[in-house]
Amino acid sequence: MSRHVTIDPITRLEGHGKIDILLNDAGGVDRAYFQVPELRGFERFAQGRPAEDMPQITPRICGVCPMAHHMASTKALDSLYHVDPPVSAKKIREMVYSTFFVEDHALHFFFLGGPDFVVGPTAPKGERNILGVLGKVGKEVGLEVIGVRKQLRELITLASGKVIHPVFGLPGGVSKVLTKDDQQKFIAGANHAVEFGKFCLKVFDDLVLKNKEYVDLITSDGYTHKTYYMGMVDKHNKVNFYDGDMRVVDPDGKEFVKFPGGKYLDHIAEHVEPWSFMKFSYLKDIGWKGFVEGPQSGIMAVAPLARLNAADGMATPVAQEAYQKFFATLGKKPVHFTLATHWARLIELVYAAERMQELASDPDIINPNVRTIPTAAPDEGVGVVEAPRGTLIHHYKTDPKGLITNANLIVATQNNAARIALSVDKAARTLIKNGKADDGILNMVEMAFRAYDPCNGCATHALPGKMPLIVRIYDADHQVVQEIRRD
Amino acid sequence: MTPTIKWCRRFGATNIMKPLVIGLGNDLMGDDAIGILAARSLKEEVSEWADVVESSLHGAALLDILIGYRRAIIIDAIHTGTCPPGTILDIDPDDLGTVVSPSPHFSGLPELKTIARELDLDFPKEVKIVAVEVAETFIVGAPMTPAVAEALGPLVERVKERWEAWQAETPAGST
Repeated sequence: MSRHVTIDPITRLEGHGKIDILLNDAGGVDRAYFQVPELRGFERFAQGRPAEDMPQITPRICGVCPMAHHMASTKALDSLYHVDPPVSAKKIREMVYSTFFVEDHALHFFFLGGPDFVVGPTAPKGERNILGVLGKVGKEVGLEVIGVRKQLRELITLASGKVIHPVFGLPGGVSKVLTKDDQQKFIAGANHAVEFGKFCLKVFDDLVLKNKEYVDLITSDGYTHKTYYMGMVDKHNKVNFYDGDMRVVDPDGKEFVKFPGGKYLDHIAEHVEPWSFMKFSYLKDIGWKGFVEGPQSGIMAVAPLARLNAADGMATPVAQEAYQKFFATLGKKPVHFTLATHWARLIELVYAAERMQELASDPDIINPNVRTIPTAAPDEGVGVVEAPRGTLIHHYKTDPKGLITNANLIVATQNNAARIALSVDKAARTLIKNGKADDGILNMVEMAFRAYDPCNGCATHALPGKMPLIVRIYDADHQVVQEIRRD
Repeated sequence: MTPTIKWCRRFGATNIMKPLVIGLGNDLMGDDAIGILAARSLKEEVSEWADVVESSLHGAALLDILIGYRRAIIIDAIHTGTCPPGTILDIDPDDLGTVVSPSPHFSGLPELKTIARELDLDFPKEVKIVAVEVAETFIVGAPMTPAVAEALGPLVERVKERWEAWQAETPAGST
């Protein structure tokens, strides 16, 4: 008799997901499924609206990465209106976007993924949270984490109006000229962010890399997948979050394809499974071969680990040094260890801080020429950025008046969904034996899930409260035979 | 690594006597708009006695709003599945468990409170949550379900009642 294990958050949460594990007769894992709630109605909601409204509307759909949606949407409008923003506008956008990246990556490391490593993967669940992190790294560091995030959010507000609902991106530029005083604030914030980033790397070095148990876990087979990797690169094939071409490398690290974001439909397709609302992105040139890894499978990954694998390096010095150490420590490139994503995220945090520092000191940042007024008729446009959790694509079509006739979003987690499914399945197979699915084992399954920083619903915020997890074990007739509850 | 104390000061005012009323939610996502709409409604009525904020923030970012106030009322949507949509629930934050979450970007109120205590931040001493049971929050641009929409008026009244109850509990002149 097969059995069915469900890990299901029962309260409504932004980005909440569900993991179903189907056991076989022998109590082993037959198949593990990563499921998400469906966000519906976006396309219909967008139809008939002025395209200029999209940079304000799309961030409101997702409270987690509003700036990423704002930026992808703004770039889609540049493309839609066939307008090239002045260099100063591009630099302001990238500086603000880099600021957002630092604070978002910091949030993930210390509040979300960090507890798995800073506190420890086998620590009691009650300690594996931000409080456990504070206990490990100290109160002063806790204040620093919260403080630097607050400072960066204030800078984003200074430039863009609101963190959660930014209003500064316009087709052809930005809405606000920055003053010298603004620039000084960004320089101060960037300097702080760079020091903070270096500190984060040291925390990872001291608490994770010097702990053999953790390193063994990172490099363990249960968290390893040999897939393709995709990320945005600049003209030197260095990681870039704001602009550049998309580069895909194969499981051996060789460049497979490189293309402008606007050509994404030539290279990325979506697979649908009956058990999931999520569409699974895959490489069109390889094709969908099922949930299998290797060069013959079109499954790819995006997000920090993928970006580092897909690039030839980082464009800033401290991040580049960390990049080299990353690959030297973890073996040859590409690194296939899912849990190494946490380290890659910190390297990106440092890059974002250094890039912010470079741009804040650039004279163009206070150049008042921040917009090229569009004059061409709108028709179709694609905007692509790297969101903290992976490649984000906005694609709009309009009538000649600029009213949306078709809108398509491919969000980062969709690009990662097939590999996330692989990760959850493999972790479950490795860690669940003889039908045993105790609380500790489920934590380990969730670690695979958390490493990607998935953002599934792109939808609602959360009531600040408890989020119990319920594990239900079903027999073949879908009757509950066991329930493990975690409040 | 430097400096934390400077940052604490940058939080500005502390021990704010006026209560904070936060309406949480997403006004594009069907029933999730209820907290936002309640805040919007209250803003006009109660600005003399409360600071009213609409927010789509969650997790740690809410600290930025809460710090400095002595009292706060949080209005939100909730999906317990245990009562009909539109039901208004009074929730004591102390009854909420800590979060063990597979979801990113989430810290619950208990975590925020404990973080604030651990870091000596000026978190509200008293927090009340007034929540409305919702039905649909995953359709972009969807209208609220009728039962939830009808709860708006009573919800606003309930928030005011919470405040009046606080006032009654508090000796005159102490707030």
